[in-house]
Amino acid sequence: MLHTLESLESCNYDGMDMTVLERQAARLKWQQQYYVVQNNNPVPLSASSVPQSQGLIGSNLGSGQMVELKRPEVFLGTDDLQDFVNLPVSGPDFGESEKLDLVPPEAAADYCISRTFNCQMTTPNIAVMKEEREDVILEKIESTTGSGRVSFNKRKAEAVADHKSKDKRIRGEGESEVKTKCSTEISRNSSKENSKASEVQKPDYIHVRARRGQATDSHSLAERARRGKISNKMKCLQDLVPGCNKITGKAGMLDEIINYVQSLQRQVEFLSMKIAALNSSVELSVQNLPMKEFPAYVANFPAAAKLPEMAGLPCFQLNPLQKESVRFMLNESLHPPQTEGVARASVCITEQSLSSSSMTVIFPTSMIFNCSSSLTSCMMFSNALHLSNSYCSNCNHSQLGTWILKAFTTCTIWDFIKIVELNFVFYVNR
Amino acid sequence: MNNPHHMNPRSLKSRFTTRFLRALTKIRAQKPISSSSPTEIFRRYRKIKVAADKSMAYSVRSRKTWSRAMLWKLRSRSHRRRPVKTKFRQSVMKNTKTTTTTGEDGVGFGVEASELRELVPGGEAMDLCNLLDETAHYIKCLTTQVQVMKKIADFYSL
Repeated sequence: MLHTLESLESCNYDGMDMTVLERQAARLKWQQQYYVVQNNNPVPLSASSVPQSQGLIGSNLGSGQMVELKRPEVFLGTDDLQDFVNLPVSGPDFGESEKLDLVPPEAAADYCISRTFNCQMTTPNIAVMKEEREDVILEKIESTTGSGRVSFNKRKAEAVADHKSKDKRIRGEGESEVKTKCSTEISRNSSKENSKASEVQKPDYIHVRARRGQATDSHSLAERARRGKISNKMKCLQDLVPGCNKITGKAGMLDEIINYVQSLQRQVEFLSMKIAALNSSVELSVQNLPMKEFPAYVANFPAAAKLPEMAGLPCFQLNPLQKESVRFMLNESLHPPQTEGVARASVCITEQSLSSSSMTVIFPTSMIFNCSSSLTSCMMFSNALHLSNSYCSNCNHSQLGTWILKAFTTCTIWDFIKIVELNFVFYVNR
Repeated sequence: MNNPHHMNPRSLKSRFTTRFLRALTKIRAQKPISSSSPTEIFRRYRKIKVAADKSMAYSVRSRKTWSRAMLWKLRSRSHRRRPVKTKFRQSVMKNTKTTTTTGEDGVGFGVEASELRELVPGGEAMDLCNLLDETAHYIKCLTTQVQVMKKIADFYSL
């Protein structure tokens, strides 16, 4: 590659002294040399012109305007660049791009790597960049681009969109090529950038160089970008939702997320229900309770009666029973993923607690709220219902049964309230 | 006094807790606890649930679309008999991207995405990208809510 650069140097570009015509002639000559290199070397040499392009603010291609060169801080160590302030800039490779843009300052850092490589070429290359007829360049470049090139156009379009610039600017398509040369990683990133950028409306046609094996349609590129974003977000959600590591595929993930959100919302409902129920048994004197006094308050609160002791208690113990039952129910229901375990445990408990027949109803309802759609819960529920029916021979268990079934199908809190009410009725009647 | 629940006074958790506790004391002060009938409990439950949602939405303020939608819903519910304040509605709708809610991404998200939109408040007017962001934040807020309410319920039940 360097030999061609040396040939450029030999072209005697001192920049400012040359006329436009001379510069154009020199450029064409450089172009020809470039093509030779291109044919031989898959990686285009025009990369050498990249560093300078960084410093170029912009120009109207084809309009022959003089543009101001902005000197990149890191890059060009030569003082010659200062002379090129008014030099119209263009590059043979840049013909592909109608719109070039100022390289964002952060991208400048990427080119630091190529700095040493490009230092020698600053002088001739700057002179090489001139405004020119894009058509010629376009045709020529199209025919010779190798597969390793990235879609410079896209990247430029993206930068244009970012900077909201409408002027045609010169950009290093070469810049990206330098990247490919100097660092494959950077080139990969730039290629991704380029492929992700969306098309910008321009009067002239745009030639897109996309990655190998991928469509160059702007819509598909935008789609790809969007899909990438969505997959990133799905990964974040996977961290939030427990138990999602094994599930692959977006549909399954979304189902898990939906289930988790639903279970969380239900938990909030249950907890507010619990607090409402517990509130009723709180003494009136405890109205203004700041957070700090909670431990003291808790110490003064009467201890709740244990469940087995309530078997023979009269009805004035309803409040603690209610509290106890609600707590049991909610403690079971607060672990939605363990539905089967809960169901089995509740069935065992129902078998054991013969006297507290109200609990047999509470547990099935907890199962209802836990897993309203799972078959195993249906079986467990029917089991528990049968048990409870056998135990509640005295009470109007038919009404109880209908209410339980209704709650099972509709899963509303109101039905649960009815069930609790009926339980109390039953308990009082005993 | 040790405050085991909150490490950072400005965190979402502490903001939500203070608001929720304030609302709880108000609710308890409203009605004397004479009867513990199911209807009474049910009414109180609804009030507490609304208070929980409200305090969570206020803790997040207008930073997220779902909180804005939730606040708007709560306010419209409280002003049900009065005409809906169009100014607030416009400000809510302006901040949500009203892109098409069809499965434009074409990656087979249609059914689940619509379900998710129903779950997350304000999800109807969001494209999939933002919907996933809002869902993540919503899940985080819901988990804090559940944690705090669990602890409060434990305090009461002891």
